[in-house]
Amino acid sequence: MKRVVVTGMGIISPLGDDVEAFFDALLAGKSGVRVHDFSWGTQLAAPVLSDVDAPFPKIKRLSMDRTTQLALLAVRQACAQSAVDGTPGAGTDSGIYWGTAMGGAGALENAYRELFINHSPRLRPMTIVAVMTNGATGQIGIDFGVRGPSYTYSSACSSSAVAIGEAYRAIRFGIVKSAITGGADALLTAGVMNAWASLQTLAKQDEQHPETSCRPFSADRSGFVLGEGAGALVLEEEETARARGATILAEIIGYGNSTDAAHIAQPDAEGQSRAMNQAIADANIAPGQVQHINAHGTGTVVGDVIETNAIKNVFGVHAHAIPVSATKALHGHVMGGTGAIEFIATLQALRRQAVPPTAHLTHPDPQCDLDYVAEGQRRVEGLEVAMCNSFGFGGNNIALIARRYAR
Amino acid sequence: MSSLPKIQQMLAEEFDLPLDQLTPDAALEARNIDSLSALEFMFVIEDEFGIKMPGEIASIKTVGDIARTVDELVAAKGAAPA
Repeated sequence: MKRVVVTGMGIISPLGDDVEAFFDALLAGKSGVRVHDFSWGTQLAAPVLSDVDAPFPKIKRLSMDRTTQLALLAVRQACAQSAVDGTPGAGTDSGIYWGTAMGGAGALENAYRELFINHSPRLRPMTIVAVMTNGATGQIGIDFGVRGPSYTYSSACSSSAVAIGEAYRAIRFGIVKSAITGGADALLTAGVMNAWASLQTLAKQDEQHPETSCRPFSADRSGFVLGEGAGALVLEEEETARARGATILAEIIGYGNSTDAAHIAQPDAEGQSRAMNQAIADANIAPGQVQHINAHGTGTVVGDVIETNAIKNVFGVHAHAIPVSATKALHGHVMGGTGAIEFIATLQALRRQAVPPTAHLTHPDPQCDLDYVAEGQRRVEGLEVAMCNSFGFGGNNIALIARRYAR
Repeated sequence: MSSLPKIQQMLAEEFDLPLDQLTPDAALEARNIDSLSALEFMFVIEDEFGIKMPGEIASIKTVGDIARTVDELVAAKGAAPA
C-alpha cells in the first residue's frame, strides 16, 4: 500500500485567506464570529469578508454559486503550493474528492425568490449548473485539468472529512496517484440560517461580546455559529511527490468512517468511538500515540458531552493527557467545508508544533472534563500524531489521523 | 437607432471583455461566450430592451447578430431602446 502525503493546502475562511494567517489567528484566539449585515438581515455569523467575486470573470460567475467560488479559490492556493501540473491531459491519474453539505443552496434560494416572490416568468439558464451539488467538483476539474475520477460527498457537517478520507484511501490503494480534495459551503442565506435557528442549535448571541458566542465544552455553551468557507488539499503518493521534489507538508495515516444507525440528528458516542478506533487501527498505531485531537466540538449542549465520552471510550486514561481543541469557536461551523478547514488546522498544529486553544471556555463543565487547551495556544514539542474528528447529521462519523512527515 | 453600441457595452460588462474585441463580426464562441452563456445574456437583453428574445438562438452567432435581432424586435414592438 502507498504512503499518502499532503503537498498543498489552501483556505478561504472567516479568519483569513491563506493557511498561515488562518492558523496564526487560531493560535491567537482571534474570532471570525461577528454580527454581520447581510442583504436580507442582520445575523450572528462567521462570514468570509474578502471579495470572492473579483477573482472570476463575470462570464464564469454566471454558472457558479458562492460555494464554488470559495472552493476554486482554496484549490488555487493548494495547487500553487503543491505546484501540481495542471496542464490539460496531465491529470488522468488524478482525482477530485470534494465535499459539500448543500452545494448551491444560495443559488437555489435566489431562484426560488425570483420565481415565488418576484414572479419572474422564467429562471436564468445557468440556475441548474450553479445549484447542483457537484458544481464545485466539475469546476475544479475544468480549472485544474483533473481528468481522472471525481466524487462529490455530502454528509452534512462531515462532508469534506469524508472526501479527504476517500481521497487518502484511493491513493493508498493505487486507484489514483494524486487528488484534489477538501470541501466548501456558503450557507449564510436567509433560508438556511432560519432553518438552523428553528432547530435551536445556533448559539445565543452574547450582547457585549458577540465574537465569543460559540463556547465549545464550556458550561455556558448554547450552540454553534454558522460560518462559510473552503479548505482544499492536494494529496499524493509519497514516492511520486518525492520523485518530483515536492515539499511534503504532512502524511495522512488513518481514516475511520462509521454510521450511528441511531438518530438522524442526535450524535452517538458509540458511533463516534467506532470511527476513531477504525482510524487508529488503519494507522497501525496504539491509541496512546495520538497526541492531539481537533474535536468536532460544535458547542451544542448535547454534542460536546457525547464527543467527550466518545474520546474517553477510545483512549481510556490517556484521554486526559491529549490536548483537545475545538476551533469552531473561532472560525464558526463551516458545514460541508468544516472538516477540511479543521484538518488543515490539525496539519498546521503538527507542522508548527503548537495547538490552538478552545476559545471562550470560561466555565468548565464537569461533564466535559478533558484538556481542552482553554488557557490559550500551547507549544507541544515532539507533536508527531494528531487526529481530527468530524461528525455529521444523518449519523456519519469521520476520524482522520495525520503524522508529521519523516522519510 | 441601432442597439449595437448598447449591446457591445453590455457584453463588455457582463463578460469582462474589452470593447475592441466586440466588433459586429466578432463570433461569440471566439470570445468564450458559449451557447449557455449566450442564453444567459438574452435574459439581460430582455430586461434592458423590454423585449422577448426568440427561444431558439442558434442563428445568433456574432455580436452583430444580437444587435440585428434586437433591432428587429424593438421595431416590431414600436418602441425605442431603453
